[in-house]
Amino acid sequence: MKWPVSSGQWPAKTGDRGQRTGASVLAWYALLIYAFLHVPLLILAIFSFNSSKFTVWQGFSLDWYRAAFADRDLIEAAANSLIIAACATVLATMVGTLAAYGLWKRSSNWLAGSMYLSLVTPEIVTGVSLLAFFQWSFRFLHLRLGMHTVILAHVGFSIAYVAVVVMARLRGFDPELEEAALDLGATEWSAFRRVTLPYLMPAIAAAAMLAFTVSIDDYVITSLVAGIDSQTLPMVIYAMARRGVNPALNAVSTVIVVALGAMVMISERLRRRA
Amino acid sequence: MVGFGGRASIRIAFLTPAAVLMLLTLVAPSAIIVAYSFLTHGAYGGVERPFTIENYTRLYDPLYAAILWRSLWIAGVATAVCLALGFPLALFISRSGARKNLYLSLVILPFWTSFLIRTYAWMFLLRDTGLINTALQALHLIRAPLPMLYNDGAVILGLVYGFLPFAVLPMYATLERLDQSLLEAAADLGAKPRDTLFRVMIPLCAPGIRAAAILVFVPCLGTYLTSDLLGGSKTILIGNLIQNQFTASRDWPFGAAASIVLMAVAMILLFAVRRRGEELL
Amino acid sequence: MNRRGFLVSAAGVLACGRGGRRLNVYNWSDYVAPDTIPNFEREFGVRVRYGTYESAPEMLAKVMSGNSGWDVVFPSAEFVQPMRDMGLLAPLRHDLLTNLDALGPLFRDPPWDRELAWSVPYMHGTTGIVYRKGILPEPKAWADLWDARLRGRITMLDDPPEVFGACLKKIGDPLNSADPGQLREAKAQAVLQKPLLRAYLNAEVRDQLVAGDVAAAQAWAVTAGQAIAAAPGKLEYVLPVEGFARYADTMAILRETGRMELASQFINYLLRPEVSAAIVGATQTATANAAALKLLPAAVREDPVLYPPAEELARGEWFEPQSAASQRLRDRLWTEIKSS
Repeated sequence: MKWPVSSGQWPAKTGDRGQRTGASVLAWYALLIYAFLHVPLLILAIFSFNSSKFTVWQGFSLDWYRAAFADRDLIEAAANSLIIAACATVLATMVGTLAAYGLWKRSSNWLAGSMYLSLVTPEIVTGVSLLAFFQWSFRFLHLRLGMHTVILAHVGFSIAYVAVVVMARLRGFDPELEEAALDLGATEWSAFRRVTLPYLMPAIAAAAMLAFTVSIDDYVITSLVAGIDSQTLPMVIYAMARRGVNPALNAVSTVIVVALGAMVMISERLRRRA
Repeated sequence: MVGFGGRASIRIAFLTPAAVLMLLTLVAPSAIIVAYSFLTHGAYGGVERPFTIENYTRLYDPLYAAILWRSLWIAGVATAVCLALGFPLALFISRSGARKNLYLSLVILPFWTSFLIRTYAWMFLLRDTGLINTALQALHLIRAPLPMLYNDGAVILGLVYGFLPFAVLPMYATLERLDQSLLEAAADLGAKPRDTLFRVMIPLCAPGIRAAAILVFVPCLGTYLTSDLLGGSKTILIGNLIQNQFTASRDWPFGAAASIVLMAVAMILLFAVRRRGEELL
Repeated sequence: MNRRGFLVSAAGVLACGRGGRRLNVYNWSDYVAPDTIPNFEREFGVRVRYGTYESAPEMLAKVMSGNSGWDVVFPSAEFVQPMRDMGLLAPLRHDLLTNLDALGPLFRDPPWDRELAWSVPYMHGTTGIVYRKGILPEPKAWADLWDARLRGRITMLDDPPEVFGACLKKIGDPLNSADPGQLREAKAQAVLQKPLLRAYLNAEVRDQLVAGDVAAAQAWAVTAGQAIAAAPGKLEYVLPVEGFARYADTMAILRETGRMELASQFINYLLRPEVSAAIVGATQTATANAAALKLLPAAVREDPVLYPPAEELARGEWFEPQSAASQRLRDRLWTEIKSS
C-alpha cells in the first residue's frame, strides 16, 4: 500500500514539534552515515594525487597514476578481470533468468534449495570445495586451473543472485497475460519471449549489473581456483595491500571507483529512459 | 500459478542449464568436500585413504571451539552494528520522497567498489601515521598516536563498512512497503514516538531486519581477509583456519571437516531465523 | 560454449603478445631488478610470465598439485628436500648450467642439496632485529622484544618457523627443534609476547619502520636492508646474541615443465655475475654468487646487514625441514598462539 501523502513528507500533524525535530535528527544522522561511507574513498582519491608516499601533503602529482598504468601485471590483471566478468555475467544472466522463470512456472525444491545454499554458503567454503573438485577432476581431464575454472566458478555463484532479482520481479507479473497470448495461438516460447521477457528487462539489467559487480570484486574464490594465466585485479590489489601502503594502490582504487560509478550512473540513465 | 499441462519439455529446458551448473559448482564440490573430510592427509599434502573420522574428532577441542566462538562473536557484533546503524538510514531513505533513488544510489555506490579497496581505505586511515592520527595530533587532541589498527575493533569497523549496504537494502525494502496508516493509528491512540518505533514499526519490519541480519552475518562469519589486513594477523578466525589448511598447512581433510562444521553452524542459525513465506526463491 | 571458448582464446592471444616461446617464473616479490626480466626476454626471444608470492608455503600450495603451469620456482632451502620427496622437482642438468662455478664454495655444495642436484642457491640472508635508533632499550637479543617498554610497537614475522625459531633461541634451544617439550615452551614464550605485539607482519613492516609506526621488528635481512636504505641513519639491524636463523632462497625447475632447456637457460642467466650484481643493486639482497660479489662496490660487500662477518654468522643456524609429526605439532601450536 502506498504512502497516502504522495510527496512523501512526514505526516504533518500541525504543531507537533516532536515529529519535526525527529525528522531533522534523522536527516543529520543520515548525513553522518553517508559521510562515513564515502569519506574514506574520497580520502584515498585525494592522496592518490599526493606526490609524497606518506600522509603529509607534499604537492600534486600524477606519478602514481603513471606508475599504475605502467605496471604490466596490473594491466593484464585488469584485462583478465574484465574478460572473466563479461563472460560470467552473460552466462549467469541467461541461465539465471531462465531458471527463475522456470521455477516460477514449476517449482523445484531441489534447484531452489541448491541456489539458496549457494547464496548463504560462506565464500571460503565455496572456494575450497571448488578447488578440491577441480583438482580431483583434473586427474581424469588433463586440464589445469585457469581462466575456464575461474569463469565456471563465477557463473556458479552468480546464478543465484540473478535468479533472486528476476524472481522478485516475476512475483509482480500477472500470469493471465501469458495465458492470453497462448489463447491467441502463440507458442510457449514466443509467449515468454514477447510478453514476459520485456516485462522482466529492468530486473534482468539490474541482475546483470549485480552479477558483473560480484564477479569483478571477488577475491576469495578466485584466488583459490585461479591458474597462472588468470591473475585478477582483486588478487593484485590484495598482494599490493599486504605489502603495505602504496599510493599506486590509491590510484588504482580511484580509477576503479570512478569507472564503476560512471557505469552505474549511465545504466541508471538508460534504465530510466527504458 | 498457471498449469501448462503436458508441455513439460520446455519448462525442463528452462531449468536444465541452471541444474547442470548447480551440479557442477555446488553439488559435486560439496560431495568431494564431504568425502575429503573423512580421508587422511598425505605426508606433504593431498589426500589418501584410509577413511577416518579423525578430522572431526580433532575439531572437538577447546582450541577450535574458541576459534569458532570468536568468529561468531565478531560476526555477531558486526551484524548488530550494521543493523543499528542501517535501520535509521533505511528509515530516512524511505521517507525522502522524490530523492529516494538518489539516496539509495549513494548507499549502493560504495558497494559497487571493491571490498578490498574499502578495506585498504581503512588501513590507510587508521595507521599510526595515517590521516586520523595525523589530524588529531595536529589539532593537539592527542599527544601520541592512538593504536587504531591491528585490533578487533578495526576488524569490526572494516566488516561494518563493507556490509552496511547489505543491511540497508532489505530493511529499506520492507520500510517502503510499510502501511503508513498503521503508524498514524498508533499515534492517534496516544502512543509516543518511541513506542511507535519499538512496538509498531520494528515488529512490522521484522522480515527485512531478518533478511539484513542473514545477509551480513553469514559472510562475516566466514571472513578472513579483513582480519588479515586490519587485524594484523593476530587473531585466527574460522575463515583463516580453513584457508590455512588449504594453502600453508596443506591439510585438506582437516580443512574440509572445518568447512562442513562452519556450514552446519550457518545452516542451524539460518533455520532458526527463517519464517514461512519469506522465501527468496 | 562457443562464445566462451572464443573469448578465452582471445584472452590467451592477448596475454601471449609476442607469441612463440614462453616461460613461467614464480618468485618472491621484490627479488629482481626492473630490467632483469626484460633483458632476458630480449636476449632469448621469450615472453616471461612472472608471478610473485609472499611466503614459501603459499608457493608450495600452488605447485603441489603438479599441474600448476609454473616452470621455475624459488623455494627456500629447507623446502628443497621435501619438494624433491614429493616428486615436484626436476633434476638439474649441469651441462646447461655453465655458470654454476660463479657460486662461492659454500653455495656450490650446501648442506641442503649436496652437489646441487635439484636447486641452485640464489640469495641468502639472516633473520634478525631491525629497530629505530634511540628507543629504549636498543635491542641486542631476542629477549629484548619481550620488553614491556616497547609495548605496541613490536612486530614479529607472520611465519611459524621464524617465530618458533626466535622463541627457541630465546630459551636456548636449537632452531630446528622437534622436541615437543621445547616447542611447547617456545609457544608459551610467544603467548607471553603477544599482548606486547603490534602485529605479525612480513615485508609489510618495512614501510611502517620507515614511517616510525614500528620501533622494533623481527625481520629478514633483505627487508632490513631496504628499510635502512629508505630511512638513512634512523634504523639499525642487529643479529641477536642468543642465535638466529640463516635462510637461503634457491632456484628450482618443476618436474611438470615441458621447457627444461629454456628454464635451465633462465637459471644460467641469473647466475651471470653482472645480472646478479644488478639485482643486488636494485633490491638490497645478499647474493650467493661469489663472482657477482666481486663486481660490487666495497661498501656493499662489507655491508654488515647483508654480509655479516664470519664470527657473527657462526651464531646462526640454517633452517631444516621438519618431520611430519613435528610439523603437525608446530601447526597446532601456531594455531594456539594465534588464537590466544
